[in-house]
Formats: sequence, C-alpha cells, structure tokens
Amino acid sequence: VCVAGYGQSDANEILQLIPPPTLLTKEAQGLCPERDFKVECGGFSERPVYSLKHVPDTSLLVTSGPPDSSIQIWQVSAEDSDVIKSVSTIAIENGTGQSWAKIATISARAPWVLHGSGLDRVQITEVESRKNVYTAASRGSEELSGLAFLDCNTLLLCCATGRLCLADMRQPQSLMEAMPVPSAPCREQWCMGTRHGAQGLELSSQPVARLSSRGLLTLTDLRKTTEFLALAKARVPSPGSGAEFLCVSWAPALEGYLAISGFDGLVHVYDTQSWDSSGREAEPVFVHKGHAFGRAGGSEDPPLVTVHTWHLQKPRTLLSAATDGSLHVWDWVQPCGKC
Amino acid sequence: GAGQDVGRSCILVSIAGKNVMLDCGMHMGYNDDRRFPDFSYITQNGRLTDFLDCVIISHFHLDHCGALPYFSEMVGYDGPIYMTHPTKAICPILLEDYRKITVDKKGETNFFTSQMIKDCMKKVVAVHLHQTVQVDEELEIKAYYAGHVLGAAMFQIKVGCESVVYTGDYNMTPDRHLGAAWIDKCRPDLLITESTYATTIRDSKRCRERDFLKKVHETVERGGKVLIPVFALGRAQELCILLETFWERMNLKAPIYFSTGLTEKANHYYKLFITWTNQKIRKTFVQRNMFEFKHIKAFDRAFADNPGPMVVFATPGMLHAGQSLQIFRKWAGNEKNMVIMPGYCVQGTVGHKILSGQRKLEMEGRQILEVKMQVEYMSFSAHADAKGIMQLIRQAEPRNVLLVHGEAKKMEFLKQKIEQEFHVSCFMPANGETTTILTNPCIPVDISLGLLKRETAIGPLPDAKKPKLMHGSLLMKDNSFRLVSPEQALKELGLAEHQLRFTCRVHIQDPRKEHETGLRVYNHLKGILKDYSVQHLPDGSITVESILIQATAHSEDQGTKVLLVSWTYQDEELGSYLTSLLKKGLPQSTP
Repeated sequence: VCVAGYGQSDANEILQLIPPPTLLTKEAQGLCPERDFKVECGGFSERPVYSLKHVPDTSLLVTSGPPDSSIQIWQVSAEDSDVIKSVSTIAIENGTGQSWAKIATISARAPWVLHGSGLDRVQITEVESRKNVYTAASRGSEELSGLAFLDCNTLLLCCATGRLCLADMRQPQSLMEAMPVPSAPCREQWCMGTRHGAQGLELSSQPVARLSSRGLLTLTDLRKTTEFLALAKARVPSPGSGAEFLCVSWAPALEGYLAISGFDGLVHVYDTQSWDSSGREAEPVFVHKGHAFGRAGGSEDPPLVTVHTWHLQKPRTLLSAATDGSLHVWDWVQPCGKC
Repeated sequence: GAGQDVGRSCILVSIAGKNVMLDCGMHMGYNDDRRFPDFSYITQNGRLTDFLDCVIISHFHLDHCGALPYFSEMVGYDGPIYMTHPTKAICPILLEDYRKITVDKKGETNFFTSQMIKDCMKKVVAVHLHQTVQVDEELEIKAYYAGHVLGAAMFQIKVGCESVVYTGDYNMTPDRHLGAAWIDKCRPDLLITESTYATTIRDSKRCRERDFLKKVHETVERGGKVLIPVFALGRAQELCILLETFWERMNLKAPIYFSTGLTEKANHYYKLFITWTNQKIRKTFVQRNMFEFKHIKAFDRAFADNPGPMVVFATPGMLHAGQSLQIFRKWAGNEKNMVIMPGYCVQGTVGHKILSGQRKLEMEGRQILEVKMQVEYMSFSAHADAKGIMQLIRQAEPRNVLLVHGEAKKMEFLKQKIEQEFHVSCFMPANGETTTILTNPCIPVDISLGLLKRETAIGPLPDAKKPKLMHGSLLMKDNSFRLVSPEQALKELGLAEHQLRFTCRVHIQDPRKEHETGLRVYNHLKGILKDYSVQHLPDGSITVESILIQATAHSEDQGTKVLLVSWTYQDEELGSYLTSLLKKGLPQSTP
C-alpha cells in the first residue's frame, strides 16, 4: 500500500507500507501478532502529492500534483536502502486554468504512463526512457478529472464536466465522444471509475461509472453509448467542499459492486445489479462511518475521505484515507442469503 | 539480537573522559555465550571496575538487565549500578525466576547463582525521578519517566556542559496503568533512542483492544475457557484493567483469575509504587484502587477443572514451564477454548511452537498433545513508533540523534526524516560499531573587572536574555583563560603597542600653488561634510575628524598636485570615503 501527503509544505512524504500479514493474500504460515503496518520505504516530495500510481511490473511510482501538470517518477526498494528516490520529472507546460495532471499506468508493451491535466494535453510517456509515445488529438481544453487504459490500445478520458472521450491509439487523430451527462440545473463536477480486470479481459464490455458532486451516478456501456445502463442517486450531503476528492471505484472481486466517497467522512458501497435508469435514490449495501467517528474531540472540522480503493483479492475489503491522516482497512459482513 | 522483540541491550558511552555502560541485557534466544554481551570490548583481561565510572539500568526487562549478575559477579565489576526504585525492587525477582528455569529446569551450568544476584544488587544505588545524582565530582545523572513498564526510566548523563540522554525502552502514549514518557528541553549533545519499532505504524489502540475483547467475549459466551499466558509484570496489569472495565460495563459473570505467586507480588508492587503509575490511577486511588479488582480473583490449581467459562492469566508468558503450561495441557483438547499469546515467544518454547502452527506437541514422556483449542496472538507491547520518536526528539532538542536497532536494519528513511525536520545529525551504528560525535563544549573564561566595567559602561543596558558582544584580548597563560583589555594584555606580556597608519595619494590637476590647492580642498570638503569637523590648520593641512590631508606638489609635473590622505586604521571607513570623494576631483569654480 502506498500513501502520500498533500500538504502545502515542501516536505510531503511518500510511504510504501506493508499491511499486517492478516491482510496479505498469502495464508500466513503461523500466527502473527501484528495488526500494525510497517513502513517498508519512504521518500520526500517537494510538492503535494494529489495522485499516486504504481507502474505495474516495475518498482516505480508516478506522482502528480500542483502547481503544474508535470509528473514525477520514483524508484522504490533499492537493495540496500529504504528510501524512495526521485528518478525523474516529466515537465509539462500548463494550459490556462488547469492545475495538475491526472495519471494512469499500464505495462502492456512497456511501462507507460498516461497523463494530462486537460483534454488538449493528453499524452502517453514511456516511463523508463521518458519518450513521448502518443499524443491525443485535442477536442477542447476542458479540465480532466480522470483517465484510464481500457486495454493496451484504448484510452478513456473523463472531463470534469462529465464528458467522456474514447481514444484509440492506433488512430491518433480520432477522439470519439462518448455519452454526455444528464443535464443538471447547476454545474456539477464529475469523475469516473472503470473496472480493473485481469489483463486480456475485454474491458470495454465493463460499464463505466460516473459520479457527480451532487451524488448522481451513471453507468454506461461503452459499446452502446446512446443510453444509460443505469442511473441512480446517492444520499449524500450537498456539495460543500468542492469535488477534488470525489472518488468512485468498482470492486475487482465482486460483480456489480461499487463504492463512492469524497462528500464527507463516509464511504458508501452499492450493489448496482438492482439499478435501473429511473434515477431513483439507491440504498447503499453498507456505509463505512469509521473516519467520521474516529477522532476524539470535535475541535476541528470533521474529516473528509480523500480516496478509497478495493483490496484486489479479498472480496469485501476496502482501504480508505481521510483528511485527518487516518488510513482504514475495513470490510463488512453480508447479511445471510448473499455470498 | 535475533528477534525484533528480544535482543540484548548494552551500550558503552565515553563522555569527557568518563565511561558509562547503559543497560546490561541478556538475549533469551540463545543458550550459549551469545546470550550475554561481549565485555571484551572494554578489556580483554580482568575486572571492569577500573574501566567504567558507572552502570545504568533503564528497566527490569531481562533484555536490559538479564546479564547484570554475570557482568558484576562473574566478569567482575564493583562500581555503582544505578536504577530507579521499582527497578531495584523487581529486578532481582525476575533474575531469580529466570535463573531457576535456566538452571533447575534446563540444567545449565555456566550461569549466575542466587547468591550472585544478591551480591550484585548490593552494588545498586536507587534513584528518584528528576533527582540529580552526583556519581563523582564531574559526572552526574538524572532519571526521567519513560512509561513502558513500571519503573522504566530514561537517563541523562552529564559531564560539565556535555550530556547524553539514553532512552531505554519508552512509550509516548499513555495507557491504562502507566503514563507517557516525558523529558524537558535539556538539549543534550546526543540522544540515544530505541528504534526497533520505528518502522511500525501502529493500529489504533481502540481497534486492538476491541479485537482482544471480542475474542475473549465470544469464547466465554460459548462456554469456553480463555488462557492468557503472561509475564508477571508488564502488560498483564494493562490487560487486567482492560478486562475488569469491560466486565463491569457488560455486566459479565464469568470468573477471571490471576494465577498466584509472582503475580500477587506484582500487584503489591504496583500499589507500592503508585506514584509511578498514571495520573488517572493516582487520582482515583483514594476512592478505588485500580489494582483491587472486583471481577478478578486469585487462582487455585483446582479451578482449572471447573466446568463453564472462565478467563485465566497465568505465568510464565511463553508457556515454557509452570502453571500456564499445566493449564494449557488441560484445556488444549477442547476446541471451545482459546489461548491468547500476548507477547513474543522464544524458539523452543511451547508458545513458539503453537504460534508457528504446530498442533501436535511432544510433551515429556513422549506424550503427544493434540491442540484443538483456538490459538490467537495479540501484541500489546508498549514501544515508541516513528511518531513517538519524533515527539521525543522535539521535546528534548538534542544536537545529534543515535538510533539503536537490531541487526542490519534499513532505516535510511527515518534518518533522513529526522535530519530534515530537526536539522541534526542522525547515526545508526550496527552492533559492535563505534560512533564518534563531535561536541562543542563551552570553555569558561575569566573576565577582568576593569574590562567588565568598561564594556558595560558603553551603550544601553543589555537585555538580560540576550548575549552582549564585548571586545577584549584573550590571554591563555598558565592553564587559565582570561579576557582582559588590550592595554592590560600588552602590559602583562611586555609588548609595545603599535599604531597602524595608512596614507593614500590622490592626484588632482591644479597648476596653482600648493597652498591654494589646499584651500580649495578645504572649502570643498567643508561644504560637503557638514556633519564632520573640518579644520584648516595654519600649516596648510586639512583635518577631517582625525584624518589628515596635505597638498603637495608633484615632483615632475607642475600642473598636478598630490593630496596625501592619512588615517589610523581605526578610521578606515572615513578614510576610504574621503579618498574616493577626492578622487572624483574638485569643483571647477573656486569660491
């Protein structure tokens, strides 16, 4: 598990933590006393880390954050040292009104990082050589809220306005527009979640989830972009602190389950298999309240969940972090009748 | 040491010519010479009394004091051994207990005897918290509260103005029966801190306790028995208070027992040294003694056969002998029962075997014991993690930090973190390595009364908190340092005072006579330098304050005049200024 700080000071830490053995997938040989995480390696970043991704099949990490759209590459776990060293920075000039790059990584043909802060600045850089491998055709300069590799040739870009764009690397000039968002009276911010599957799985058949700052959730099948697969509303507080922590993600080991966070100190888990296109309010299967109740004393603002992710193998286990620096690993018990 | 939890702590510090040994621990994982520290580092032959000024023991855990009788009686040391009062009371009990098991049960021969333990303890001088103890004329030590276990202390060792703080094991978060470690801003030259848990990020205490209580509760609810092997002193008290509070809150009826013998004495010591426990216990002591448990009773061997649920705390902690092993053998065959191991187990013990997953154990007499009871493992140790270490450094403000750790541990990241945040040097030597720290000791200097009077008369009264800059001459004569006025220094050393004078030549174009050039210069300077005293002397020279300017004719060129500007070295600034001013030339019009 890698965590990083995003404070304003110039000493933000990036830590690679080993979870307690009970959370690792291997069945522990004996018993272990540990409920504690161990810091395996750590490094220092001069800029706040807003996005942190591991490059698969390598010991490299990529980070990004304000004040510009450049991305930083780090080397973890050298043989004789526990320091995460900065390897290089890929500097990108800023477009107007854009702040920091969103990133996605893949290691299909080579370790690549897909990055960009706006729709007109999307590119793929080969991590080790730092060479530019691909630049997406521009279709406007909107700010991006997320990007993903659907497979080793197909990219999915999500704008903060909710607009989705598909790009095929083999056809560099084309940028296909996918489903726009349901119209809304006030402007909302959107983010997306795509399902991680095993490599080789036909990922474009997995629905893409989009979450708005008002709590609207849309599911879209990328092969049939003319209609929503499903539309639902989450019961969340009205957008107060902005959309920078909005996060929606699919469970890798549970069909149809997704989680959302970023509105307050809670993480909601939903089973989307019962959803339709009515846009009705959906009941969460489970709500994690640990961050909201974790602190003693109410002197400061209640913590806000900054990000969450699913455990890759354990079906109902999630990790979430919040503005008070807490990291929770939690699961829920399914009521009888379901597996 | 081999395991992370158990090692043998023993550190040698040389400070301003004094040699101090910090802790004298035993490694419980070895059965041979490796279990004791290697004292040949100090000297190859003979007794160690002449080589050490004192020995300090931080707390009663055997990995910090286990080798003490061997060191003082078998290797040989007769100097003072310092420790806190609770440590002095409890240490010999643990040493005797361990000696019994090692010699009587295991049949070891090269081990210290009961008499040696007694003789060793006679050399111990007990200290109070925050009490400055004068070891000799120059060396003094002071103990600070360390949390961790009853009586654990961090020690400051001071010689003159150089000091070292050794933390031993400490805990920066208070728990149910002990407070948190605390030290003042003593700014030692070096802070030596334990860092075994530095790379650990602890799970929240609440979650850990909840997990433990859940397991105990579930077992008891289904009618099972819970065995918790403990060491007599240490975490056992913490768990007792935890269970007692839980039982009270949940109104549970199942009995909880604390096995007799050593453990009764333990509660006695906690009551005796009540000032060493935490604030809450001390405050509520009058109304209700935390160690008088309502739900926890003394155990009797026969109770183990009673039907129904129960919880038993029994010694020793690794299930290697004694009562806990007896109870374990009785209960192991029932899957409704549970054993919760609360600490690290040394290899070879039953505790270690069941924790590695063994479920068929060979007991004495070739009997096979099948373990069907649930085996759980929960660590409740109280050590400082990275956050705690940073907190302590922030409190003490050392100039250098030294991390003590197990073998070959990578801690580059923590080292950088400490160096970056506190701007101090951080060292992490391996076992057997020597680290040298450079200190800046203060050297006292006497100041002559005359100089002092003179310097304090100049300028405004100094701020009592701010240093005042003084000028004087430092005389190093006959092993003494004195600060005196320059005149006195010259007199004492029989030296003559020299005056330094600079003369600069400025060429200006002026065909007139020297006298007229001089007048021109005088008028020019008088007009510009309104704040200075500019004088025209009868012999034609001009003075600006104490600087002398004379106009002379150039030897070869009648049209050029040479101005000689002359000043003493104390007037350097004004002299340079005048020179550059004159180099710019004189105004054309002559008044």
